[in-house]
Amino acid sequence: MRGLVSVVDDDVSMRESLPDLMRQLGFEAQAFSSAEEFLASNHASQTRCLIVDVGLPRMSGLELVAELTRRGQRISTIFITAQNDRALRAQILAQGAIACLEKPFTEPALLEAIAIAVKTENGAQRREGCSEDKGHEHQD
Amino acid sequence: MNATDLCRMDVMTLASDIRVKHLSPSQVVNAVLERMKGLESRIRAFYAPTADRQRRAAGAWRSSVDGAPGIDEDSPTPLGIQASAGNPAMWSGFGMAYIGAMIGGLIQQGCPLHVVLTALCSLFDAVAEGYCSSVFLFDRGATRVRHAVGPGLPANYMKGLRGTRLGGVEQMKASAGQPDALALFSHALADSRGEQPVLALPTVPGLRWYVSAPILSLTGEVLGTFAVYQRDGRRDGRRCHAVLIEQFSGLAGIAIERLRSEEALRRSEALLAKAQQLSSTGSFCWHLERDEITWSKELYRLFELDSGLAVSRELIEERMHPDDVPSFREVLERARGGVDDFEYELRVRLPDDSVRYLHVVAHGMRDQEGQLEYIGAVQDVTQRHNSEEALARLRVELARVARTTSLGALTASIAHEVNQPLAGIMTNASTCRRMLAADPPDVAGARETAQRAIRDAERAAQVIKRLRALFARKGTTSESLDLNEATREVVALSLSELQRNRVILRTELADDLPRVQGDRVQLQQVILNLLLNASEAMSTIDTRPRVLLVRTEPDQDLHVRLSVQDAGSGYLPEEAGRLFEAFYSTKKDGMGIGLSVSRSIIESHHGRLWATRNEGPGATFSFSVPQRP
Repeated sequence: MRGLVSVVDDDVSMRESLPDLMRQLGFEAQAFSSAEEFLASNHASQTRCLIVDVGLPRMSGLELVAELTRRGQRISTIFITAQNDRALRAQILAQGAIACLEKPFTEPALLEAIAIAVKTENGAQRREGCSEDKGHEHQD
Repeated sequence: MNATDLCRMDVMTLASDIRVKHLSPSQVVNAVLERMKGLESRIRAFYAPTADRQRRAAGAWRSSVDGAPGIDEDSPTPLGIQASAGNPAMWSGFGMAYIGAMIGGLIQQGCPLHVVLTALCSLFDAVAEGYCSSVFLFDRGATRVRHAVGPGLPANYMKGLRGTRLGGVEQMKASAGQPDALALFSHALADSRGEQPVLALPTVPGLRWYVSAPILSLTGEVLGTFAVYQRDGRRDGRRCHAVLIEQFSGLAGIAIERLRSEEALRRSEALLAKAQQLSSTGSFCWHLERDEITWSKELYRLFELDSGLAVSRELIEERMHPDDVPSFREVLERARGGVDDFEYELRVRLPDDSVRYLHVVAHGMRDQEGQLEYIGAVQDVTQRHNSEEALARLRVELARVARTTSLGALTASIAHEVNQPLAGIMTNASTCRRMLAADPPDVAGARETAQRAIRDAERAAQVIKRLRALFARKGTTSESLDLNEATREVVALSLSELQRNRVILRTELADDLPRVQGDRVQLQQVILNLLLNASEAMSTIDTRPRVLLVRTEPDQDLHVRLSVQDAGSGYLPEEAGRLFEAFYSTKKDGMGIGLSVSRSIIESHHGRLWATRNEGPGATFSFSVPQRP
């Protein structure tokens, strides 16, 4: 086993499909519908990679990561979002996320982000996004 | 020829003399007297048999005035009372008619008051031999002498009378209108001794005050007095006939009143003209039956036409901006239809090609004969219009920005709602492919993920459906409303935008249109959308007028229909089915939202919205909604 990937998303499609894909890739996978649910579980300490939706209800994805940091738990995190908010994405990347993937994201983009996350395990600071994000910064 | 014809002829000749030869006041008086002299022989010729009889009877018919500039004191005057002993009524009647017409003619010619009064006195003096008349005009309230005219009296004497304070007027007023009036009047202006007039003046050598008759207005106000003096040589008892004095004082009253009211009219006209000029407002009067149009001077100026030019519809249309002609004609047709007030704006194209914006307000009414007449005011609103146009342009720009922003927000929302299931579909598909590629393949797992992908796709479709429903559901309120009124409001709002696109807007709003039930704002959004679509559809048309016709009418099955017809590029038959699809647009930068939203609004009103291709160029978009039950 390659370790635990935790998925936190209020959208049921993601909660169902992402863990299955992770398992196909050889990870263990666990899904949570909210930040609070994830925090309440004891999976945080075991999580090797966290995939979290930006626009969670109540506590947002960013707030969740801030809370984990406050608790001393630095987990490699991949953000996913259905919104196209460049400013927010820049902020997310600046705070050390592995990547911020825009829904619908491709499998290669996800795999690349996962690969980086696994390599930089335990929350090493990374500013680089995945390949899909590169080169988009200065467009429009 | 009768007396009236004679008068008319003389007055006409005199009038043309005054106009052409620019006669001075004294020349006018002389000309009148000249006519008087000739009159005697002409009358005599006319009344020859009678006159002869009279001459024989009176034994006094000798022309005294002919050939002599003044009055021959030794001869009886032709029109004098004394001379007409044989038939005083006929002579004085004829003479007075002539004199009356003369004075009337002078007033009509615009002679100033003192000229008219001088002529009047001269005529009296010519008629009443041995007597000398004067007119003292009082100020308002009859406290002082304002004006004194007496051509037969010494100038200094008359001059000295001006400004004299009056006495006993109350007494005179009180006596006015009583039976034995004349006698009372003469007493009224006399002091207690009954000999001297209250206007105490030094006596004039050779003259003696004889009698004074008040000059009264129609309402009984004392305007002045007609005072007659007797020449000293005439103390022989030949009395001046009271009727003559009464008639002359009456004539003086008419003359004064006419001139005063004309002066007042002139003054108010001058005031009005100034006011019109200052406010850049002209006025007009349009008599429909006679098709007579009268313009004020300022209105001529606003159209930059020579004042006095006969105004016709053709003339107006010639000056009008060509695009405004159809709507102008429409207004006229409506005005012809019945008494109504109307208000509209038109543009005048001036000779230097600049444009003047005019705001017209007209009030319809029936004249005394029951014929339709419109009076109205026309104001130059070019300045206001220019600033409004700038404002309107800003507003349109703002609306465009707002529309884009809201569409942007809408796009983001659509994207968010659709991207969620799309992400699910892609992830499920990836998983599915991996499961099938495994050794051995996980067919059951693959089936499950495929099933989830299908579910997510259905979810995406649901999102679109829900969004479409959301368009029609925004804060709906239902009320009874007049579609015509709603249309007019939209037209008013979009008029400047349409005008900017050089669209000629015509409206045919049915009278007595049944009311409908619905959301006013939403229906207005639909109408606005149809108007702007039509306007945009014509934006590239330059070979024909960009006519936009908005029509309301009752439709079958207790429906009310509104249609918007343009002369634009239209659409192809194969496009017909897709026109109302969301995000379908024939326009270069159209979003393709408007028509689909419009249709959903109309459908939420239990109506329908459809398009037809015109026989000529362009398309017609119509909707039909049920009448209010």
